[in-house]
Amino acid sequence: MRAAIQEDVRAIGISSYNGGHVEFFAEVVDLLRKRGADDIKVFGGGGGTITHDDAALMEGKGVEKIFFAGTSLEEMVDYVRENYGKPRKKRSRSKSGDIELARKLSEIEDRFARSKRPTPKAFASRASSAQRPLSKIIRDSRFEIRDSKRGTRARVIGFTGPGGAGKTTLIDELMLRFLNQDRQLRKGLRAESYIAILSHDPSVIGEGALLGDRATMINSQDDRVFMRSMATRGQAGGLSPATHDCLALLARSDFDYVIIETVGTGQEAMPFQRNGIVDLTVLVMNPDYGSRLQLQKIVMLDLADIVVVNKSDLQRARTAHTEIEQRLEQNRRAQRLIDTVAKRHRDPGVDALYNLITRSRDGSRTKHADKE
Amino acid sequence: MSKLGQVVEAVEKYNKFVLDQVKRARSDKKFGRELADRWNETKSKTPVTHTPTGLPLPRLALPEIDEPGEIARYLFGEGFPGEFPFLNGAYREMYLEPVREIETGKKRSTTNGNGAQAPEEPTRLFSGLMLAEDTNERFHYLTRHQRTHRLSTAFDGPTLYGIDSDADGVFGKIGEGGVAIDTVEDMVRLYDGFDLGSPNFSASMTISGPAPIIMAMYIAAAKRRFGPKVVPKLRGTIQADIFKEVQAQNETIFPIEASLRFLSDMVEFTTREMPRWYPISISGYHIGEAGSTPVQQAAYTLSNGFAYAEMFAARSIPVDQFGPRLSFFLDCGLDVEYVALARVSRRIWAIGMRDVFGAGSRGQLFKLHTQTSGRSLVAAEFKNNLTRTAAELMLAYMNATNSCHSNSADEPFTTPSEEWIRLAAHGQAILLEESGIFKHTMNLLSGSPGMKAVERALEAAILEEFREIERLGGVLAAVEDRFQRSQIQNAAHRYEQQIYDGTRPIIGLNKYRNGEDAAPEIKLARTPRAKQQLQVDRLAKFKKKNAAKAKRALDKLVDVVERGDNCFRALLETVEVCSLGQITGRLQEIVGRFRPMV
Repeated sequence: MRAAIQEDVRAIGISSYNGGHVEFFAEVVDLLRKRGADDIKVFGGGGGTITHDDAALMEGKGVEKIFFAGTSLEEMVDYVRENYGKPRKKRSRSKSGDIELARKLSEIEDRFARSKRPTPKAFASRASSAQRPLSKIIRDSRFEIRDSKRGTRARVIGFTGPGGAGKTTLIDELMLRFLNQDRQLRKGLRAESYIAILSHDPSVIGEGALLGDRATMINSQDDRVFMRSMATRGQAGGLSPATHDCLALLARSDFDYVIIETVGTGQEAMPFQRNGIVDLTVLVMNPDYGSRLQLQKIVMLDLADIVVVNKSDLQRARTAHTEIEQRLEQNRRAQRLIDTVAKRHRDPGVDALYNLITRSRDGSRTKHADKE
Repeated sequence: MSKLGQVVEAVEKYNKFVLDQVKRARSDKKFGRELADRWNETKSKTPVTHTPTGLPLPRLALPEIDEPGEIARYLFGEGFPGEFPFLNGAYREMYLEPVREIETGKKRSTTNGNGAQAPEEPTRLFSGLMLAEDTNERFHYLTRHQRTHRLSTAFDGPTLYGIDSDADGVFGKIGEGGVAIDTVEDMVRLYDGFDLGSPNFSASMTISGPAPIIMAMYIAAAKRRFGPKVVPKLRGTIQADIFKEVQAQNETIFPIEASLRFLSDMVEFTTREMPRWYPISISGYHIGEAGSTPVQQAAYTLSNGFAYAEMFAARSIPVDQFGPRLSFFLDCGLDVEYVALARVSRRIWAIGMRDVFGAGSRGQLFKLHTQTSGRSLVAAEFKNNLTRTAAELMLAYMNATNSCHSNSADEPFTTPSEEWIRLAAHGQAILLEESGIFKHTMNLLSGSPGMKAVERALEAAILEEFREIERLGGVLAAVEDRFQRSQIQNAAHRYEQQIYDGTRPIIGLNKYRNGEDAAPEIKLARTPRAKQQLQVDRLAKFKKKNAAKAKRALDKLVDVVERGDNCFRALLETVEVCSLGQITGRLQEIVGRFRPMV
């Protein structure tokens, strides 16, 4: 439910084989209604376990379509295209902050999707328009959208690196620490922090995101996390044409941290602009980057604030650490190098990274105030 | 090299050994004569049985060979039933009916000459629905005509994922597809009326992710009913197969390494304290059902088995303590490979356990439970499923499975209803008791030239899969690399394609279609809301009653886990006062959660 609302999906498809489907589907429809997200439709199937009588009952309760055993994949794809593939008609007023935020993000994405190939000029003008203060502030919302003039915008942390380096797992492990830390602090010390994650999928043909990162992020499925997946729509460099505007919106909303994850990037990529909206950049590397010379070609090694060698349990990790350390020394900047094993629960390397990210927060607040 | 690589070498070496024996039997006159003498003696001593029509038949059928080389090929390459390398069967006799009264002139008692119990019926039907008391009632119904009570328990979705019935969003799933178990009190209700310590009783529990906790609940429930002395007498099987969950079924709740650690803790305890319990059922069934080819099914199952053996050995559990307590579970479908899949698996397992792990004869046995293929059953013209299941049953028994579950024809729609369960059970009785196929002669159908050809092709293909896994660094590395998972998915996709393009005929679905897609009139087994509410209420009561004790027990459990000690004893205490969800939740805080492989 949370995922569907945050991603502002058109429909939820449910596959259910082990019974309880009548109640389960009805509950999903009901919850969507209660949360004011009833323009998200529900369909599904369950092989032979859902009878025609059940289906009639379920459709009576607001489920749009049940597919029966023997339906071909094409038939289902056609149905989804036909019914959920076209642009939405006018939408009713959104009832909560997260729905409002999710829809705003969709609007930004749609604007870029409608223009066939946004020129850099068009991009710039749109970007500025999206940064205008939002007129409507929704009071009762969890994710309140604020005017940026308040000066305490979220701290934005960018994660990039080659595909398969473990960025998503690493972010998810950091989220676990954010959430747990707060749980310990809950008693009076400070309010719980809210976090937004903007992740990217490299889709070219379709316009939607694959939601692959979401499936990996098991710890981030929490009411204090707003996660949104974006498709790069063919743009190189790891981000989507709409990223900048979406990020700006999230940064002005009531989050303590906004985390942005690029798709797996190549050596030349520098997804986060200098002096841009991103406060801290983290490059996540795999120990298997090839020869030492390859390191010279990775542009992000010059730009990142923190470099993480993930999968440091692999045999090559020590060599990788040494070589990257030497490479970073050339830059004569205070870049940090951390080894992690993100797949390991309670990994001390991830703890160190978490501390580094949160410790730098207080200092950075003043920096923002100055900038803005 | 992992032990799997050594298994490949051991099988190759053994095959060469067999060829050497063949040559030696031909060149070494004395050796050849010895073999021929043994062969002839076995043949002459084989008892003769009479069919109901009076036809005399030998109880053991052997090929008509008298040349010493061929005799060597049989004795070393296949072995008599119950002899290494166990191609023809882990045991002798098996389903044969006792020697008929006519021959001895007096009525045979139920015990044989050794004073051991008469063999158990191989029928073991999987069952689980609604709440514990409902499943209990079904168990009593299923076993009312049986001398031995072999129960097989299916759990509902929330239980399989280690979640309590009061968790968010699970209400409609309570008691669906299996029985809802939250606490030790449910476990007491589940097997009420059965004598858990009896040699005629055994319980099988199909659960893997939370298996150590469920196992602890079972032991605790048995102790509540029969006192602590019942523990060493407990007989049964718990699935507890983590590898196949990650490869095929996804019901994993802790990260792989933590899951394997809890599993080893349990195995260490049960193999020492409960010598009649099978703490792990190494399962190819779910791999097969997820869409693997038969070769993949056998290869991944066997290699998972060897990986577990390697892990337990590394824990210093003696191989003769854990080896005999490993059991297997395979799928049996309609593809021709199933003519010999279990036979070939039994041989590879025996060679690997003997020559790589140094197991004694009991630890070499590939003890097998088979289930007919659920995936092969379809909703369209579902009564055809009876025929499919019957053919699969035939194949399963031809492979000398030690126990077998036959699916109900209505399974594409629902938890089986009593009518179709009865037909499924009767299918087995018809095959084993009514027909003469498996009654009079061991080995009646083994060893045809076609079957031999299938065996050779299967063994080569399975070993090739082993080599690939070994190249990836062994089973655990391959699993983490998603190797088996992606292979299975690929095979599943191909299978579906074949159904759609018609190259794989499914009668009534893509061939000889009736035209009408009439909805079958079947009374579905659904859990009423009131029952689901009852389960939630019971759980609330349990939690309230034990609130203070639960906290202490969980802290103690966490302490043991953090220290890295065997946590199974602590778990036995924890389940007395904590629910399944309370325990998994707390453990996940310590060891993390399983991250799905996408």
